[in-house]
Amino acid sequence: MNTFLAALSSGTSRGAIFALVALGLVIVWRGAGIVNFAQMGQAMFSTYIASTLITNGNSYWIAFFVALISGAALGALLDILVMRPLSNKKQSELLSSESMRAAVPVIASLGILGVLQALAGIIWAAEERGFPAPAKQEGFTVAGNVLPFTSFDLFVVSIVTVTLIITTLFFTKTGIGLAMRATALNQEVAKLSGIRTNRTRTISWAISGAASSLAGLLITPTSNLSPNTLDLVLIVGFTAAVVGGLDSPAGAVLGGFILGMVISFVTFYSTPEDVFLAILAVLLLVLIIRPRGILGSKDARRV
Amino acid sequence: MLKVENLVTRFGSVVALDDVSMTAQESKITTVIGANGAGKSTLLRTISGLEHPAAGSITWKGQSILGKRPEEIVRLGIAHVPEGHAVISELSVEENISMGSLFRRKKYKSDVTAAMDEMYALFPRLKERRKQLAGTLSGGERQMLAISRALVSRPQLLLLDEPSLGLAPLVVEQIIDSVNTLCRTTGLSVLLVEQNANTALGVADHGVLLALGKVVADRPASELKADATLRAAYLGY
Repeated sequence: MNTFLAALSSGTSRGAIFALVALGLVIVWRGAGIVNFAQMGQAMFSTYIASTLITNGNSYWIAFFVALISGAALGALLDILVMRPLSNKKQSELLSSESMRAAVPVIASLGILGVLQALAGIIWAAEERGFPAPAKQEGFTVAGNVLPFTSFDLFVVSIVTVTLIITTLFFTKTGIGLAMRATALNQEVAKLSGIRTNRTRTISWAISGAASSLAGLLITPTSNLSPNTLDLVLIVGFTAAVVGGLDSPAGAVLGGFILGMVISFVTFYSTPEDVFLAILAVLLLVLIIRPRGILGSKDARRV
Repeated sequence: MLKVENLVTRFGSVVALDDVSMTAQESKITTVIGANGAGKSTLLRTISGLEHPAAGSITWKGQSILGKRPEEIVRLGIAHVPEGHAVISELSVEENISMGSLFRRKKYKSDVTAAMDEMYALFPRLKERRKQLAGTLSGGERQMLAISRALVSRPQLLLLDEPSLGLAPLVVEQIIDSVNTLCRTTGLSVLLVEQNANTALGVADHGVLLALGKVVADRPASELKADATLRAAYLGY
């Protein structure tokens, strides 16, 4: 029973983080049609910024907010400096096929990941360092029993829940949210409606950057921080997004929690070595039964 | 009001518009007719900035709008309803309409609501369905929605591409009537592209006949309608 509870609680808190990573991927996919493999590189970079601020004596919360803002800024910057010039019509017409054109930004995102990791290695050295949690990582005690759910888990789950609610409200209730959805669904009609689609795309990158930086801040207290510790998180987050449906924000969240649970239960009931096998099994299962993902829409492009 | 001169638009080696010159007059309905592939849609798409011309000029109220992006051109008062009931199926009726007024929300806050209400008054069926997804609408309703999306931006010129496409004659009549009334009462200028020349010439003041990307005739609509030779040669009836 205790093992079950432990797996459940760890699955919830990990799932929340994967949901965030998957959501970041889905937002850029919908907004710009790109699978952004640099996403956790961006998150790693802003987590390093937070780490540096904390080492220099700043409070956790200052570092926390600076990391979110720099995550958003880095996302916006990558779109403006790299992705927007690449989608330039004249440039892309040099490539003959549609699929080649679609591949260019994805390959660029891999390049960005490499550059960010190399830069982080140069600036902060490549060895692992710890990253603090803002809450205790010991289980709650009820009637003398230590529960497997920690204050930090509670913090993770609540902050992710709040983020998901805010994101949903932003997309459904605000004008910019409507503009972003319109851009994602039909660029031509969006443009003809007066929506500045370049700008909404940049906002997608910024929101995704902030969301994944939050994920970076929440996962590094348990995983530690190095230029490539977050690679694994990206793989799981990407799987979560595909499982849930790459074009569905709700699917991303669902996929995140499914992956969190699978990883956690496999770790507790089997060995950590089997985790990758389990992830692969889930991915294959979904791709065979429902290739568009659990909540993905019919005409989503396959990747 | 809108002046197109010597416009050339190419798709690779295909010349879609070949030295096209025409004008759309203020508060009038100008129709561009011609067979399938004559370049009618390309003309509208080039005016609204969706396609980039290889040569020529487009002047709107005395200023060149050549090379401007679509999202800027609509801000100058030219709204385009592209071919094929262009609405976003996954958004609600209300969201589709308000999408067209997003850019006016800061400056003309109160007028945005008024403009939305006018659209619902123009097409009451949209009001009944305003919470429904646009994808669930009938073809006629979708066309009404596409027009509302464009009109809610309060344009001075409406570019309307094949509103009759795939619709029942009765619905076409209703939509054309609404646009006609709007032009006569509010002074909206309309540039109407139609394959159905009879319908278009019936309502338009002026007609431009395109064939294979070239202007073949540019005359008052009534004259074009009466010209049996042109009709037989280019429109096939």
